[in-house]
Amino acid sequence: MAKASKRYALVIDSRKCLNCKACVVACRAENNVPLEFSRNWLNVELRGEYPRLLAISEPEQCHHCADPACVRVCPTGASFQRADGIVAINATECVGCRYCMIACPYNARFFRQDIGVVEKCDLCRKRVDRGEVPACVETCPSKVRVFGDINNPDSQVSQLLSRRQYRVKKPEAGTSPQIYYLL
Amino acid sequence: MKSIEWGFLIVSYLFLGGLSAGAFFASALATFLQHNGNRQLERIGRWGALLAPWPVSIGSTLLIFDLGNWYRFYKLFLHFRIVSPMSIGSWLLVLFTIVSLLYLWSWLDADDKRGLFAKIPRRLSVLQRYDYDLSPWRHHLAAIGFPLSICVGIYTGVLLGAVQSRPFWNTNLVAQLFLFSALSSGCAAIILALSLSKDTLSAEEFRFLYTMDIGLLVLEFFVVMPYVIHGELSVEAVKLSLGLILGGPFTVVFWVFVVGLGLLVPLTMEVWEMLPAVSGRGAIHYTKRMALSAAGLVLIGGFLLRYIFVFAGQRSSFP
Amino acid sequence: MDRRKFLRFTAGGTVGAAAVSAVYMAPFHKEPQKGPQRVEIPTTCEMCVNKCSVIAVVENGIIHKLNPNPANPRSRSMVCARGNAGLQQVYDPARLKRPLIRAGARGEGKWKPATWDEAFDFAAQKLTAIKEKYGPQATIWSSTESFQETFFKSLGLAFGSPNVERHPTLCLASVNLAYSLTFGTVPAFDLANAKYIIMSGANRLESFITPDTMDLIESAMEKKARLVYLDPRFTVTASKADEWYPIKPGTDAAFILAMINVITAENRYDKEFVSTYTVGFEQLAEYVKPFTPEWAEVETEIKAKDIVRIAREFSDAAPRAVYYAGRRSSWYRDDFQMRRAQAILNAIVGSWDRQGGMVPNQKIALGEVSYLPWDDPTAPRIEDMDKNFPLAAKGDGAYLKMRENVLAGVPYPVKGWMVHKQDPMNALPEQAKTLRVIDQMDFIGVIDVQMSDTAWYADVIFPESTYLERQDPVEVLSGMVPVVVYRQAAIKPLHDTKTTLEISQGLAKRLNLSQYFDYTIDQWIDAEVKELPLEAPLDYLKKHGVWVPPGGPKYGSTLTLEHRFITKSGKIELYSERLQEAGYDPLPKYTTPLQPPSGQYRLILGRRAYFTQANTTNNPWLNQFCPDNQLWIHPNSARDAGIADSELVEVASTVGAVKLKAHVTQEIRPDCVFMLHGYGKKSKWQRLVAGKGGADAEILETAWDKVSGGGAFHETFVKVRKA
Repeated sequence: MAKASKRYALVIDSRKCLNCKACVVACRAENNVPLEFSRNWLNVELRGEYPRLLAISEPEQCHHCADPACVRVCPTGASFQRADGIVAINATECVGCRYCMIACPYNARFFRQDIGVVEKCDLCRKRVDRGEVPACVETCPSKVRVFGDINNPDSQVSQLLSRRQYRVKKPEAGTSPQIYYLL
Repeated sequence: MKSIEWGFLIVSYLFLGGLSAGAFFASALATFLQHNGNRQLERIGRWGALLAPWPVSIGSTLLIFDLGNWYRFYKLFLHFRIVSPMSIGSWLLVLFTIVSLLYLWSWLDADDKRGLFAKIPRRLSVLQRYDYDLSPWRHHLAAIGFPLSICVGIYTGVLLGAVQSRPFWNTNLVAQLFLFSALSSGCAAIILALSLSKDTLSAEEFRFLYTMDIGLLVLEFFVVMPYVIHGELSVEAVKLSLGLILGGPFTVVFWVFVVGLGLLVPLTMEVWEMLPAVSGRGAIHYTKRMALSAAGLVLIGGFLLRYIFVFAGQRSSFP
Repeated sequence: MDRRKFLRFTAGGTVGAAAVSAVYMAPFHKEPQKGPQRVEIPTTCEMCVNKCSVIAVVENGIIHKLNPNPANPRSRSMVCARGNAGLQQVYDPARLKRPLIRAGARGEGKWKPATWDEAFDFAAQKLTAIKEKYGPQATIWSSTESFQETFFKSLGLAFGSPNVERHPTLCLASVNLAYSLTFGTVPAFDLANAKYIIMSGANRLESFITPDTMDLIESAMEKKARLVYLDPRFTVTASKADEWYPIKPGTDAAFILAMINVITAENRYDKEFVSTYTVGFEQLAEYVKPFTPEWAEVETEIKAKDIVRIAREFSDAAPRAVYYAGRRSSWYRDDFQMRRAQAILNAIVGSWDRQGGMVPNQKIALGEVSYLPWDDPTAPRIEDMDKNFPLAAKGDGAYLKMRENVLAGVPYPVKGWMVHKQDPMNALPEQAKTLRVIDQMDFIGVIDVQMSDTAWYADVIFPESTYLERQDPVEVLSGMVPVVVYRQAAIKPLHDTKTTLEISQGLAKRLNLSQYFDYTIDQWIDAEVKELPLEAPLDYLKKHGVWVPPGGPKYGSTLTLEHRFITKSGKIELYSERLQEAGYDPLPKYTTPLQPPSGQYRLILGRRAYFTQANTTNNPWLNQFCPDNQLWIHPNSARDAGIADSELVEVASTVGAVKLKAHVTQEIRPDCVFMLHGYGKKSKWQRLVAGKGGADAEILETAWDKVSGGGAFHETFVKVRKA
């Protein structure tokens, strides 16, 4: 039975990631992120010995955890979690103490020196509220990221999670991250 | 993405906050242990009270200016979030500072006050109306502030310990470690102040302060050791983070300056000074120079302990 | 305190507080609003040649974001990094904002802002002087692909110059020619439906994020197709391929001929297809006999057993098997032969006009505005295409041969150079020669949106409006599913810029050629779309940005007995008489490539997903991923040369030397080195890359493919040593 409330999550198939940076640039444009920061990033690694080489490229951003440490530690409630799971920051309430940055196991947040507040990926919540998907999800040539409601069993994310094995990053940190990396 | 966000402003605040807590603690304890009419520990009580408000005030000011938008600090007092150690801490600090200021006021005698009011410019003389005598409330203020000072000492540890994603901090022992370190710093500050004054420590003062400081240092040592030992026997993330002080960039500072010069050396010095009093053979080996050195080392060790925890902790993470 | 002092104190305090708060609160004040709140305008990207469809989101008159337009089946719902960074081209503070006339010496960077009249008058006067003294053929009109290129070309032709020089000979000329001569046309590759794909160096998952990339992702990345990839470099495509072979450079033809050898010897070819639709199989089968897998193993450094296995798997998968043609500049002087071998291989397994194979492109006919035709230029092209490249596409010219002849003054002097959108300073190898050409010119005029290296040396610069500020002609993307794409302005031009049509018309007026350009862009577009089977085509295109004819891809339209291929024989020519008659090899000839002498390396080139040739390296949103180029060198080679990672090295060829940092990596063969294109620029307006890294154009030696005239860019050997 479908749950009444939505819970957004990302399912990522890193195998298809080309390290083309389209998602980084799309996010920058959509969210006016200054050049020295990025709300999303790619973990790139080269392994092996010539000629048996393996290149890995893994997209990452805020994991919008189900039990977000960053929300818990915020003294003003500027970091908050929406009912649909998106963790966002109310920039006018943020005092810039950066406690949340230290609490995040994924180093997903950064400090905007120019405006004195902390910032991070918010899954393009304005786009989501308009019925669109986050910019990084939309722009990707390989459609590496899939965005959707995991409380809806018919959504693409739910289908993928029910048919494929996956892992999450740093589960030991105990924040219950909601980016699922397909194996 | 991985940056050191909390730097020396935070380290200083943690040290200063703990210092105030410790000074108040010692003063309050001295006040409680005063038997009627007995004024042997009065100087301790007085000095502790005079010291207590200022480090935490300076530290809080540093905190405010560490914020991204300092003028928004008032927002911290529009909310009370019990799950956020920083929220609790903000309120605690304010309460503690107010109580310690009142407590300080309660220790000022008529001569002190006259001298103070003489310094106020004539146009603000309206403030003289607020010259209440709080000395009858001294014990009550001590009683209210005593648990607050312990809370302030503990909360600086909880602030770090509550962060589950930093394996260097997320241990059961960090709250106690900061508490004992804070209390011993406060004690050391009073030893320092009294040793610098005209009449150095009396025997009773010596006994009180040194027993307290030695006790706290021993407790501190027996928190640091399990922290390291159990950490090495713990999960990979904790072991990796401890690597920062076991071979990593913070090793020398930790073992030489914090554990060695900041803990074991002053402990040894103080025990040696105190030994005759305990064994009953001869006069205590108290010299001004030794007392100042030991106290100074404790203070430096306390500061560097917080430096290590703040910096190494931010570099630790789950692999 | 007395009242005066109190008031002063309060006033001062208030002013102080206001000042402090103004500074601290500044970030929270919003810009004044202008324009409608939020509009979405569909248009077509111009950050590379793929012309993907995008939707410009314009908020308060400012382009905020470029979103994908899912209506285009080619680009689907995708905008690559360059496409997303397109709006930086508009808001680039260093872009060309008004016409400029050179004030100092060429390359000094001193400019005088001019009005359009001044710029047109000056250019026309110079061009006329050249025409009068040397004839109109003494001018080169070189351009690269754009929707308005046609107006520039027309101007050159109307001016009387035959030397309209286009970009294919700096690009895929050898591919086009090889496939044209084999199939009569250049087909598309149905990568989405193929089951077995072999790519020689066509780094489709990195070099150019294109619709082909999307197709390849659909098949190879979703594990529905097998991808075999040959490249001396471990690129992104290599990392995703099922098999990667670091093939010895220049030996791809050997690999292909050996495959043909196995397929013909083991009777694995499509007999029915070959006998019905091709000619020359018997000659081919005989010809490939010596090209055994064992022979190829020595040439390519790929094991014979792998070659055999791949040949067998390839033929088994046919007709859903393709050897991908590639779409970049030639590598070697005999590049054409390798592309011919590819075409032949694909043909003999019957991968033609079938799902998963090569499929001829469909077109959509657009109308044309009627304008006065000019007299054809009387003088011959400077490269003498008939003599030097008899089979190549004449209208495109042969760029490097042209440059040689210009420098030699043969067969006639050239004194003027008009450039549209192109950057020959970086696009051409052996930059020293380009600089000599520049010295020879009496006049150089450049149309561009940014101060390219070529513009840096120009006499007059005409600033073009960016693609987001322009109304362009409608274009057809031919392919398996042809589409009509539309480009309209998202915002009005920010600066004093014009379109190429307006520039051409401005020049035409002063050159007395106005009669040939007496139409507006709207008239041009109206004529184009008149033929489209839509009720109100322009309204439709304005609203949707793209029109897709119903039906989808058609397979098999040429596989009828009546169909005549546009070749001499009317069939697919495995053996080409036409090549033979023109004095070339009728079957692909293989020459063992020269190897770099000891202590030297072959310089190879390639692209990144977030750059387009040389013109995007200065875009800050893209430059941040690679602020300077580095020389890729294998650890063994680095050790031999005594070079450490990140050390500054000097890379020298026979024509030049550049300095850049070394990137010691296993991702390249030990006998090759690699560097990215578009760095070490001369133009000081491109602050991010001016003098940063090294310009490959400086050290690449001049070479071209013999048959097509296409520039060959992998023929340079370099010495590498500590700088």
